[in-house]
Amino acid sequence: MRHKVQAVVIAMVLLVSTASATLGLALLAASDAPFQHAFAAQDGAHLTLTVNPARAGAGQLASTRTLHGVAAMAGPFAEATVQSQWSGQPFGQLTLVGRSSPGGPVDDAVLTAGHWVTGPGQIVLDGPSGGGGPLVGSTITVTGLPHAVNLTVVGFANSVTYSADGWVAPSQVASLQPPGTPASAELLYRFASAGTAAQVRADLAEVTGALPPGTVTGSGSWLAAESQNTGNGAIMEPFVIAFALIGLAMAVLIVANVVSGAVAAGYYRIGVLKSIGLTPAQVVVAYLSRVGWPALAGCVLGVVAGNVLAIPVLHQSAGAYGVGSQSVPWWASVIAPAGMLALTVLAAFAPALRAGRLSATQAIAAGRAPNAGRGYAMHRLAARLRLPRPVGLGLAAPFARPGRTLVTLAAIAFGATAVIFAFGLRASLDRAAASQSLSATVPVQIQQNGPGGGPNQVPTAQQDAAVTAALNDYPATAHQTTVYENQVKVPGVAGSANAWAFSGDSSWLGYGIIAGRWYDAPGQVDVNTAFLNASGLAIGDTATINTGTAQVTVRIVGEVFHPSSYPTVFGSTHTLPGLATPENVMYWDVGLRPGTSTAGYVQAVNHTLGSDSPWAATTHKDGGQFYTVAISLIGLLALMVAIAAGLGVLNTVLMTTRDRVHDLGVFKALGMRPGQLLTMVVCWVVGPAVVAGAIAAPAAMALNTATVNAMAGTAHTGVPAFFTQVFPPSRLALLSLAALVLAVAGALAPASWAARARPAVALRTE
Amino acid sequence: MIDPSAPGDVIRLDGVTKTYQADSAPALADLSMGVTAGEVVAVMGPSGSGKSTLLNLIAGLDRPTAGTVTVAGRRIDTLGESALARFRARHIGIIFQFFNLLDDLTVEDNVLLPAQLAGASRRQARARADELLERMGIEEFRNAYPARMSGGQRQRVAIARALVNNPAVLLADEPTGALDTATGQEIGRLLRRLNEGGQTLVLVTHDPELAERYAARTVRIVDGRLAGAPAGVYR
Repeated sequence: MRHKVQAVVIAMVLLVSTASATLGLALLAASDAPFQHAFAAQDGAHLTLTVNPARAGAGQLASTRTLHGVAAMAGPFAEATVQSQWSGQPFGQLTLVGRSSPGGPVDDAVLTAGHWVTGPGQIVLDGPSGGGGPLVGSTITVTGLPHAVNLTVVGFANSVTYSADGWVAPSQVASLQPPGTPASAELLYRFASAGTAAQVRADLAEVTGALPPGTVTGSGSWLAAESQNTGNGAIMEPFVIAFALIGLAMAVLIVANVVSGAVAAGYYRIGVLKSIGLTPAQVVVAYLSRVGWPALAGCVLGVVAGNVLAIPVLHQSAGAYGVGSQSVPWWASVIAPAGMLALTVLAAFAPALRAGRLSATQAIAAGRAPNAGRGYAMHRLAARLRLPRPVGLGLAAPFARPGRTLVTLAAIAFGATAVIFAFGLRASLDRAAASQSLSATVPVQIQQNGPGGGPNQVPTAQQDAAVTAALNDYPATAHQTTVYENQVKVPGVAGSANAWAFSGDSSWLGYGIIAGRWYDAPGQVDVNTAFLNASGLAIGDTATINTGTAQVTVRIVGEVFHPSSYPTVFGSTHTLPGLATPENVMYWDVGLRPGTSTAGYVQAVNHTLGSDSPWAATTHKDGGQFYTVAISLIGLLALMVAIAAGLGVLNTVLMTTRDRVHDLGVFKALGMRPGQLLTMVVCWVVGPAVVAGAIAAPAAMALNTATVNAMAGTAHTGVPAFFTQVFPPSRLALLSLAALVLAVAGALAPASWAARARPAVALRTE
Repeated sequence: MIDPSAPGDVIRLDGVTKTYQADSAPALADLSMGVTAGEVVAVMGPSGSGKSTLLNLIAGLDRPTAGTVTVAGRRIDTLGESALARFRARHIGIIFQFFNLLDDLTVEDNVLLPAQLAGASRRQARARADELLERMGIEEFRNAYPARMSGGQRQRVAIARALVNNPAVLLADEPTGALDTATGQEIGRLLRRLNEGGQTLVLVTHDPELAERYAARTVRIVDGRLAGAPAGVYR
């Protein structure tokens, strides 16, 4: 029976380890240039052209397919740019393209949920579903038309180069065209050479030149999408790699422990086999095959389990990386099981070889008891402590097998580190999300939801003033700040920088401060990390900013958390003159008085503004899809590592109960009750767990700080210190108990088996 | 023929059958016997006859397939595992052929263990252990580890451990089986002295001399049945 349990445990450990390794390798592969891989797999478009079909006939457009350097072309697809609403709130401007199928020679849109459009009235949205946005079955309302059009979301898809915000049936596009706007179509190209901006420019020039003048009205290069996507994906890499490495290291450790332990536990049987004439070589082969079969079964099942588990995990990571789909690479499904099997053989080989060299009597003796002399002092000490005897016996037991105890301690420490790290990273990401979106302080934003009355559909000053008046009318408005944005020139910063100017008091907005402070007087500005890096300036330095209408000298008083590779400066409209114009209004940030219903406030403000206003109030969402996906991925990875750690403990305790089965029988014969025996066996792992918790807590803190900083580094930003100060002593102490929980959970089953065993059976067993 | 309800029986087995596997012969078949308080009974029989099974059933280490086992006035075949363990700790002392001492505990800690498991106070347990170590003549080994002691010394430790809770019944499974003749006799004399103090003793042995010299009564078991007695009955 115990041999069967041992075989099952070996198979289980290898199953979980191989699954973890497969998933870990898959995640590592997924984090390696995800955009480039997706771009190749989805035949991404090197160039997305917007054309006026009235200027060129279908034949002329199609003839560009044969131009020199064009490898493939798709389209023309009719398109319309529309304003939209979802759930009664502005959903932004959408470019909707009519495509009858997601596939084609260029830009395979990968469906991530639902199905492709089958007729009018349906829409497939770009991006992953969920994350607080619309779901399959939601309704998107296209506004700005004589009659609003409702489109049912039937699916979500990913275009690796963002060729559209959504796709509708080709026959639907005409009905979505706002009155008075010219028809528009989309052409997608792949070129033989498009690796650099210069090559893409040359490709664009060739296509443009082949069409009548004025046909091409817009273009998008794949390099822009690559730049944006690589940035997003890179943020994920540090923690994905951290989890993958923890998982792999623990899998290796546990497998080595389990297998070598299983062979050592079989020494008695080895002795018996030798006494009936097996040669040392035959013994080695017998024992390798003894662990080999369950290991093989575990590896095969593990690689299947790893592939199955990878489906939801890679679906999430694909969403976070902004690519259509990711899959387990074939080599991961080969390397993981082969590696684990090789590790098994390697771990089994040394003890099996030793067993082969031992004489029959030595092997029998070695199989019956741990080395004499170990742990005696600890037993002596435990006997002197005023502890219940089963507790003392349990706490002293690990010292009899220091090697096994160390491996168990390491497995618990890895598992607990993963769990504490996951909690910490989640808390850090929550803070980053709240800080990036200002969702904690800014529950409502007023955003543009339709064409304004000014030139180029920009809202007029009167329309803007109406918003300010409406907000002032509501007593529930605690704060309102108009946010303006435009580009400015800063000597020392190549190209241009972004400038955000705030009207009135902006201190309530709550931007995350990495260093210094938020500005509180004219002439002071805050900047993001990219600005400091690009300019070489530091907090306390002065900078000259040319806003286009004025040149001002400002003092940098703080570095704010604003993840972007683009240098950005933040100041008041007084400090940055010329920015506060209707053209530069980005939105209004609104703070509410305590107890105000956000939904009710939004509804009331929108009622006051009326449907003719280009502005509409909207509830301010959290940090977005990246954070949602990252947090759920962290949870899943931590759970897997914790399960593997628990299994490692289970196996160790099982091996120890097997080693000490005779002693357990003696304890029972002397009157040890099942409850006392359960306590004693559980206490075998309590000591290592307490040490593991003490190691895991600072390790997880350090790992969290390093990971958050690495993630921030890839997002071109520093982080405020409070992002990583997520472990107050009380929480850390509580989280450290994860080690104890993991250890006890793993030990409980074999402890129960041992407690239930009949003493006569245990005494007979040797 | 015994009266199963004979007064003074500290151990009583009535119609006890023990079968390990359904399709195999029973290790004990419809066995009834009694042991009175203060008696020394030797149980003899060839290997595989069921001697150790009988001892395990009396000790509550195993349960009968049929029949009842009563020890110290308590029917133990119906007790749960915890109650059995508690009963064992208070009423039964066991001496094994191969001592079954815990090698990682000192002599003193081995002797103290049953008392500690039974919840005795530290002072009481230590006083009793001191007394027994002295009685067994091994007080100078109290801090030694069993692995470094001779077989006779180890068996004395095992006897001290078995007696630490003042058990009503002392069960000895081949107590001299792993000892040389002289040491075996020494242990035998020790057991007799215990019996002279009123200790009830059931002795499983292969050694006719040990049985003859130290036991007041000998029962023989062959193929799970009491030899020389009508089926199932012996006193």
